[in-house]
Amino acid sequence: MNLAVSSPALLLLLPLALLPLFRSAQRPQSASSLDGIESDPLSVAIDWTLRIAGAVAITALILGIAGLHRLGRTIEKTGEGAHIVLLIDRSSSMDNTFAGRAPEGGEESKSAAARRLLKDFIAHRDHDLVGVAAFSTSPMHVLPMTEHKAAAMAAIDAIDRPGLAFTNVGRGLALSLDMQEADTSPASRVIVLVSDGAAVIDRKVQETLRAAFARRPINLYWLFLRTAGTPGISTVPAPGEDDTPQAMPERHLDKFFKSLNISYRAFEAENPEAVSGAIAEIGKLERSPITYFERIPLEDMKAHAFAVAIAALIVLLAAKLAEVRLVPVAEGA
Amino acid sequence: MRLPLDDARFWALLAALLLTCLAMALPRVTLTRNVYDLVAIVDVTGSMNTRDMTDAGQPESRLDASKAALERLLAQLPCQSRLGLGIFTERRSFLLFNPVEVCDNFAPIETAIQNLDWRMAWEGDSMVTKGVYHAMTIAEDLKADLLFLTDGHEAPPEPRGVPLPEFEGTLGKVKGVVIGVGGKDKVPMPKYDDDGNEIGSYGPMDVPQENHSGPPPPDAHLRPGYHPKWAPFGSDAPQGDEHLSSVRSEHLAAIGAKTGLAHVDLIDNPNLLETIAGNARSRPVEVAVDVRPVPAALALALLVALYAAPAFLRGTPSKL
Repeated sequence: MNLAVSSPALLLLLPLALLPLFRSAQRPQSASSLDGIESDPLSVAIDWTLRIAGAVAITALILGIAGLHRLGRTIEKTGEGAHIVLLIDRSSSMDNTFAGRAPEGGEESKSAAARRLLKDFIAHRDHDLVGVAAFSTSPMHVLPMTEHKAAAMAAIDAIDRPGLAFTNVGRGLALSLDMQEADTSPASRVIVLVSDGAAVIDRKVQETLRAAFARRPINLYWLFLRTAGTPGISTVPAPGEDDTPQAMPERHLDKFFKSLNISYRAFEAENPEAVSGAIAEIGKLERSPITYFERIPLEDMKAHAFAVAIAALIVLLAAKLAEVRLVPVAEGA
Repeated sequence: MRLPLDDARFWALLAALLLTCLAMALPRVTLTRNVYDLVAIVDVTGSMNTRDMTDAGQPESRLDASKAALERLLAQLPCQSRLGLGIFTERRSFLLFNPVEVCDNFAPIETAIQNLDWRMAWEGDSMVTKGVYHAMTIAEDLKADLLFLTDGHEAPPEPRGVPLPEFEGTLGKVKGVVIGVGGKDKVPMPKYDDDGNEIGSYGPMDVPQENHSGPPPPDAHLRPGYHPKWAPFGSDAPQGDEHLSSVRSEHLAAIGAKTGLAHVDLIDNPNLLETIAGNARSRPVEVAVDVRPVPAALALALLVALYAAPAFLRGTPSKL
């Protein structure tokens, strides 16, 4: 039952409930002698009923005043969803539109589009755990994996503020992997990388990432917000052009992800509609069974306690009304 | 049946019953309570690694002390208050998440505070004044009040003898507190290599001792080797103790005065919630309060008196 009270100190009053066991609420009446009256079972039963009713009334009132409630608990349920880390690029280029210029008039920047669409995505995912990480020159832990949608929304809300300097994808990924590592449940794990560019990943960091991705299955989605006129993931260098990570970071980051032998998909979006399509696709793909916890809030039981007290008080009052005087009270006695 | 109208016990019982019925029937009463919308910006620059705060006798870095203070505050803030979090380095503040309700989201906010790290910093500079001014615009946009936790250590140092830049926002639009973190004595700051390992502390030559980005101070021509074009700051290496750091209370108080924020130093153990209550805008919210225990307590008192009274009135049993 998991009952508890809000102010346990009040339970110190509980010994008061013993009072009715020794004292009666009935009017004491004088009788010359009880010797002539035999004790009969019915009287004994009534006597004890009244004593216990008194004790129950006092106990119930104390419990009610102390704030009796049934504890909130979590119950395990199974649904569809995943544990998702959103890894968001906060470099300053995200402040521009898909056309690569500062937004003006009704235009939407890449970060504002990402914010709107990611919030929409989270709102429709009922059982996911969502964590948020950001990266620019350095990786930033924003929000741990949480089932609290309001917190995740607040973190996504902050992504369309002016961004910082560079795009250090490698360290950002390492941080997201750490966040996934901390979570030990068997749920499907997802990293959604949202960026509008790529960068060379340091050899050392590459090895760390390769080892971390090998440790446990992780589904990686790269939502690449491509600016018009810039090289994309699948752009093949023209003959004579350099095919190096420095010259074509997007193509090489994609190659690196493919070489990891993990479940990986890249979505190249050149406008908000394409982003929305890609997000919907991720939503469709991530429908593995997941255990999640539903909180059952604590249930107030004060009313129950008061109801019990009322019942006991009615018994006592009935006894009171059934009282008869053995001898009439003399005037002025 | 004759009602025992002359029996006080009857009246006590009846009253107890009615009071308990009243307790059952009473609706919740709504009271108003003051809550706060805050955004806390924490300085994560190098000087915040200085271990001149203490936690239970153990030395603690300024950053850890700031995080501990925020965690304590998070636990104290009344429910329905909202707290957002951000970091400061270079010359601007960076918002991690918008203000969000503190009770429902306690666990993620707490973990986010614990995960603040100096490695989040994207640049080595620490222009505190500009950082506070920038944080003010963020707070204004979020319609929240500002808590800015910093040691006030400017790197590069502010030009000597030049007043603080003017604050361009409207005074009073954002309220809040600048919270100074750090000891009052100047101590060395730890230094880290590229991989984040601590490698001793900063020496006098490791940091700029003087800001050479503006015009030289008016007395520069008195310095040895002065030349108006080739050596406007003199030819000697600048002397100074910018490699040592303490909480710059006067500087922070001056920033506070410019921006209309209050200033306290964490080392003085201020009660942050009270400071916020005095210096932030409160938002009244309605809270449902359960008043049912009040009549129930009266009923209990009557009932106990009913049973306990004969002990004091023994001897006149039939006259009650």
